[in-house]
Amino acid sequence: TGGHTTEILRLLSCLSESYSPIHYIFADSDKMSEAKIRSFEQKRAETFSNSKFTLDRIPRSREVRQSWTSSVVTTLYSMLYSLPLTYKLKPDLILCNGPGTCVPICVSALLLGLLGIKRAIIVYVESICRVETLSLSGKILYYFSDYFIVQWPGLKEKYPKSVYLGRIV
Amino acid sequence: FRFKDSLAEDLRRADLVISHAGAGSCLETLEKGKPLVVVINEKLMNNHQLELAKQLHRDGHVLCCNCSTLVETLQLMDLSTLKPFPPGQPEKFALFLDKVVGFQ
Repeated sequence: TGGHTTEILRLLSCLSESYSPIHYIFADSDKMSEAKIRSFEQKRAETFSNSKFTLDRIPRSREVRQSWTSSVVTTLYSMLYSLPLTYKLKPDLILCNGPGTCVPICVSALLLGLLGIKRAIIVYVESICRVETLSLSGKILYYFSDYFIVQWPGLKEKYPKSVYLGRIV
Repeated sequence: FRFKDSLAEDLRRADLVISHAGAGSCLETLEKGKPLVVVINEKLMNNHQLELAKQLHRDGHVLCCNCSTLVETLQLMDLSTLKPFPPGQPEKFALFLDKVVGFQ
C-alpha cells in the first residue's frame, strides 16, 4: 500500500539485474500500487532489457487499527491465498517492508521451509517512519526474518539483532 | 486539490510548505529541499506518525508547531536554522543484499 510501495521501490532501485524475476505481491484493496510498480519496471527495463516481473494480489490481512483477534482471522484468510501463491512462486528471497500483506507471505514461506519444500531468505526492512517503535508486522517478523533492517539508530539499540545501514530509502 | 496524483509540481514552485505530520508529506517536501513547518494535531494523529515528525524536528530539518501556535511560528520563524535533509542511500541496501544472497 501507498507509502510502503514507494519505499520498497526505492529499495529495489539499486539492485542489479541478477534480481530477476521480481514477483510483486500486494493487497487486493490497493488501487495505486500497480501503476507505481509498472512505471518503476518500465524504467528498469530501459537499463536491464531482460528484467521480468509479475504482479499478484492477495486479500488484505488487516485494516489500520483492526483488533487483534479479528486480525488473526483475516490473516488466516489471506493465507488461503498466500500459501498456494508462495508454493507456486517458490521465491529464493523475500523482501518486505511492513504492510500487513507481508505477514501471510512470510508465514507461508516459513511453512514451506519447514516442510522442506523451499527455503527462502526473508529480509525485512522497517519503514523509515518507524523511529522509536516497530510496526506490528515488524514486531512479528523480528523473530522470523533472516535479516531485519531498521533505519534509525534508536531502533537498533532496542532491537539488537537488527541491522542498521542508515537511511536507505 | 482533493486527491491529486502528485504534488510534485506544486512542491517545486513553493517557497515554504506547511503540512500535517504525515510521513509521506514530510519526506517528499524535505527531499525537494523546501523549508517545512509541520503542524501537529495530537488529537488526530496516532502515535507512530508523530515519531518521524519529532525526529526530524530534533535533527533540525523541520519547524514544528500546533494549530494554535501556527501564526506565531510563521511570524517568528528563522528558516536559515533548518538543516538540509540528505537523501537516503539505497545503494547501501543493494550492497548489503548482494552479500546476503551471495552475489558479490
